[in-house]
Amino acid sequence: MSRFERKILFAIGLSVFLTLGGSIFLAQGALREVYQVGVNPRFGAELVHGVEARRGQLMALREGSEQVADAVKWAVEAELRKSRRTPAFEPILHALLERYEVVQGIRISDDSGRVLARVVRPSDPAGGELRTTTRDRETDSAAGTLLISVEVAVPEVYFQRLQEAGEAADVYSRLQRQGASVSDVYVWVFGFMAFLVIVVAFLIGAIVSRRVTRRVMDLADAAHQVGAGDLTVALPTGATDEVAELTNAFNQMVRDLRDSRTRIEYLQRIGAWQDFARRLAHEIKNPLTPIQLAAQELDETYGGEDAAYREKLKHARAIIEEEVATLRRLVGEFSAFAKLPQADLSPADLCELMYGIEDSIPAMLEDLGRGSPAPVEVSVSCATEPIRVRMDPMMLKRGIDNVVRNAIQAVYSENPSGGGRVTVRAYTRRGSAVIEICDNGPGVAEENWDRVFDPYYTTRAEGTGLGLAIVKKVVLEHDGEVKVDRAPQGGARFTIELHLMESR
Amino acid sequence: MAAAVFAQAGLPIRDLDVIWSRGSPKVSFTVKDLADARVREELSSGLRKRLVVTVGSHLRGSNWRMAVREFSCDVTRDLWEDGYLVRIGTRSERLKTLEDVLDRCLVVEGLFAGEPKSFEPHRGKEIYFAVQAEFNPISKKQCRELIRPTSGDDPIGPITVNIVRRRICQAERRVEFRSVYSKVPQ
Repeated sequence: MSRFERKILFAIGLSVFLTLGGSIFLAQGALREVYQVGVNPRFGAELVHGVEARRGQLMALREGSEQVADAVKWAVEAELRKSRRTPAFEPILHALLERYEVVQGIRISDDSGRVLARVVRPSDPAGGELRTTTRDRETDSAAGTLLISVEVAVPEVYFQRLQEAGEAADVYSRLQRQGASVSDVYVWVFGFMAFLVIVVAFLIGAIVSRRVTRRVMDLADAAHQVGAGDLTVALPTGATDEVAELTNAFNQMVRDLRDSRTRIEYLQRIGAWQDFARRLAHEIKNPLTPIQLAAQELDETYGGEDAAYREKLKHARAIIEEEVATLRRLVGEFSAFAKLPQADLSPADLCELMYGIEDSIPAMLEDLGRGSPAPVEVSVSCATEPIRVRMDPMMLKRGIDNVVRNAIQAVYSENPSGGGRVTVRAYTRRGSAVIEICDNGPGVAEENWDRVFDPYYTTRAEGTGLGLAIVKKVVLEHDGEVKVDRAPQGGARFTIELHLMESR
Repeated sequence: MAAAVFAQAGLPIRDLDVIWSRGSPKVSFTVKDLADARVREELSSGLRKRLVVTVGSHLRGSNWRMAVREFSCDVTRDLWEDGYLVRIGTRSERLKTLEDVLDRCLVVEGLFAGEPKSFEPHRGKEIYFAVQAEFNPISKKQCRELIRPTSGDDPIGPITVNIVRRRICQAERRVEFRSVYSKVPQ
């Protein structure tokens, strides 16, 4: 894990811990407070009072049932006192049944178990379940002891309600007793959930920070590579954040460095070749005149009679003079290459230069056609608006002339009887001034696109391989680029790109 | 060493009669000390209360129960008539005094502690019986009905309510002990 990543994770952790730790601390207090408000002793006491009240109600009903049984006994005793011989219990019992709702039935039996009278309350289907019991009373009569059994009942629902109230009070009392620990459970569960959130936040943070830091680390590694001299580094882009912008800027910087280094290296190489050309020209040029004079002298001073030998001398002299002339031409070109000056840039209109090139086309065609214009169709065009660039018009014209001359030579050698076409045009494209020279000649093989600008590289027997090297040197000194590829019509296309003045 | 690591090693040891009958142990013991003054008072309150006795059979050095038997009484003092209604399983009986109730529910005699098949694989091995007597544990169903019947759809609710239910609905009083080690007959 990188230090940057650790810092990001530390920041995430600190903010999450502070937030959640604070919320747990506050939640603890809030929960305890809420719990104490909701589960307070007053409510518990009221619930217990409710249970006691229900129990008291049942006990009162029980007491009432005892009193009812006594009342029944007294009523029976009163009847016995009123009519000792044949007491009529049934009407009295019906009246008692009518008077006391709690009574479900009354039975009077003698000490032998014989039932003397009995009344039963008709069952009420809608009355609900009843819990019944019998209260027995005894009384003396002329016939002996009478047993008065009074069946009393109370609705079962009273007991159910007591049970329910009791359970509720019981649970409430437990909640009261366990108040602190229940609050703690909530805090612990909340804390556990918060911990899970922290873990998830950390994981997400780690993933996100790793994605960011990995790109930053890649940038750092790439910077190290560049520092070690590797200018082929290019980092992938694709995102739209600040790191992506930084990556794009880095890639652009590496490209610029690479271009500058290539330019400098090329110019250094050209400089070395210029030095070599100067020495070569000097070394070759000096002996040429003595060689030529010696050959002339040998031919002119021969006084012998051998005609065949004389003929050989003349032939040798002609060959020597021809080769010396070729060497002089080469020396001339080497000298011109060696003396190529540094470009002196100043603002100018590229179209003006193009018109100058257009003017020199007829001379080129005459020169190539050795007296009569070569049958090559050459068109030169430029944008209607001036194309302002910083340039050395003389040098740039020389460079473009070289390319145009090469193109004309290429199409003429391919189609000496006509049909060759060369198009020269200048225009602007994305902040650059572009000069494009296209032909329908044989073109340049793709594997030679990089080599054609090397000094002394040529595919023509009579070529020196300096023309395109001069072109590249001139263009590089204009801080521009030149490249070759395939023209739409099948031949070669040379493209020179210079910076527009407005875009710099 | 092994005995020290299992939790029930710390339980107090009490006398517990064990008679093996047809491959099963029949245990007898009393746990009337569960009924302290408060328990007796609550049993006489007129509300239905619960006494639960659980007997577990364990191999020596292990908490794993090879067999378990539970015996429970629902006790209600009848406020309408004198006496106590005691319900054991589906059976109900009426007892006159609280002592009768305690004798019926907390004095265990000849309770089969498990099926013969539970003990058969452990013949000759040392076992012990762990007894747990509880007063008024609230049943899971009742507990669920009384404490937040619906768990809600929040993420914390179902977790916390289960923990709270477990705490609130545990027994109001509990007595635990274990027997001495004895061997399963060959």
